[in-house]
Amino acid sequence: MTAFKKSFNIKKRDFVRAGEASINVQNILKSLNMAPKLIRRIAICGYEGEMNVVMHGGDGILSVEIDTEKIMLDISDNGDGIENIELAMQKGYSTATEEHREMGFGAGMGLPNMKANSDDFKIESEKGKGTHVHIEFNVSAD
Amino acid sequence: MQVSANTMQSSHYVTFNSDICSGCANCIKACPTKAIRLYKDNHACITDKCIRCGECLRVCPTGAISTTTYELEALQKDKVSIALVSPVLYSQFKGVMPNDILLALTKIGFHNAMDVSYYIETYFYAVEEYLAENRITGRSPWPLISQVCPVVIRLIAYQFPDLLPHLMPIMRPLSHHAKGTRERISREYRIKGDAVTLYHITPCQAKLITSMSSFSQEYSLVDRTMGIKDVYAQITGRLNQMKKTGIENLREESEPQNISESCLFWGISGGEIAGIKSNKTLAVSGLRETITYLEKIEMGLFKDIEYIEFRTCPEGCIGGALTAVDKFIAKNTVLKMLRKFNPKPLIPRDKVVLPDKSGWGLSDITQNELQRIFGVYKEHISIKQLKEIEKILEQLHGKDCAACGAPDCRTFAEDVVMGKAVLNDCIMLRKREIDKILEHK
Repeated sequence: MTAFKKSFNIKKRDFVRAGEASINVQNILKSLNMAPKLIRRIAICGYEGEMNVVMHGGDGILSVEIDTEKIMLDISDNGDGIENIELAMQKGYSTATEEHREMGFGAGMGLPNMKANSDDFKIESEKGKGTHVHIEFNVSAD
Repeated sequence: MQVSANTMQSSHYVTFNSDICSGCANCIKACPTKAIRLYKDNHACITDKCIRCGECLRVCPTGAISTTTYELEALQKDKVSIALVSPVLYSQFKGVMPNDILLALTKIGFHNAMDVSYYIETYFYAVEEYLAENRITGRSPWPLISQVCPVVIRLIAYQFPDLLPHLMPIMRPLSHHAKGTRERISREYRIKGDAVTLYHITPCQAKLITSMSSFSQEYSLVDRTMGIKDVYAQITGRLNQMKKTGIENLREESEPQNISESCLFWGISGGEIAGIKSNKTLAVSGLRETITYLEKIEMGLFKDIEYIEFRTCPEGCIGGALTAVDKFIAKNTVLKMLRKFNPKPLIPRDKVVLPDKSGWGLSDITQNELQRIFGVYKEHISIKQLKEIEKILEQLHGKDCAACGAPDCRTFAEDVVMGKAVLNDCIMLRKREIDKILEHK
């Protein structure tokens, strides 16, 4: 059986609607009766990923692919890109602006948090070109 | 009220009158769980997804949707009938002392009317104790969610099951009020507990059905509920009469109850957290707002907050669907009352007996149990069905017109895949077919 796929657009600097793509994904997973703990992990990853795009990325796309064993989230954008991925993966490291911090973001937990909540985490980025995050979750794990 | 047999089941708290329904579809659009369908000849149907938020009651322009309640005549059959009064009742009568309202209740047929102040403060102290404990043990995840609003619990059971561990495991003040009052009255009147009939006078549409049990057993503790709007006229009439005959003499007959400041505040959004000693609290009211915040908690936000008070009615319980007076007027009445009457502050901590911890209820309840208890059921679909739904949606690309009787195209597509509707019900689809035929002519 082939997987179910769907994509959602994320808009640059749209803080008001940020999170909507992840909520859509959550609602799909809930209708499929996925385990609450699994949904929670995906919700956290989706939201963090979406916020990264809204804050640092350009416009982006969040795609979800669901089959009976695996759920994949793919978040890509054409924004700033990350200069040093190793550094960006460290807890507390942040390049957030003053504006971001005022809104309560930018604690430098986004990427580490995504990695901690997923079963497989891949990130590719090039300065000035954009970032591509691919995360996987095992359905049976929860 | 006439009820068509196919539309109502005993567990539903609203009745539809298809004779006066205009078919406007406001209710099906307003329903947050998409529980309502409107079939031919305006026969509405509520599915098991109903969380009793009361939105359909609020948006219905014709009054075709209404609630059923007990009539005051029912009191005559009771051996001893006691009114357990929601603090919101005090907000409905401008410039009237709460104790006079309780007095008026005894004049319209109740043997006694009881204020809930003491139990609200017991609840505050219990919450504070649990928060302090949780700071050490970390037993429950932050933020803890108030379980006072019954719609919030249903919403979580239905839509946010992963937030179940966030619910504050302490029984609502009303439950303790009912328990305590039944014991006291049966002692005072020297009768058995089951000879006492407890009526809850409430603004809350979600508390209407008493036969439904809740996980804090509230509904089995209260025997019957009456909407504030259903007794409002009688109380007003009696209050006017009391004023004419001289209210002072009547007051001497009964002992005034201690009504605290926090009790008067209780019905307004923020009234619960105002009584709890913690700086890390938040109050949210309104259905859409509650859903938005629950979504955010699910995504890992608000971990720095210890306790959130949610009320799905606008402005809190004073915005309940069974109130008689508008929420803003009611709020104003309470604020003016606080200035005028100088109610008593908190009952001293050492005078309050905390509820037995075994009665705090709900510790390791699962989603399935909770859904069963509340009678909310979420249908689940397979990945294959999900793909079929998307396919039908592409075909429809409609305008969410609700002419088919479902709230939007997506829900209609789901109904088709689940075999509850046929594709032909979509008038947009049919219009396009007709257009095609006309083009070919």
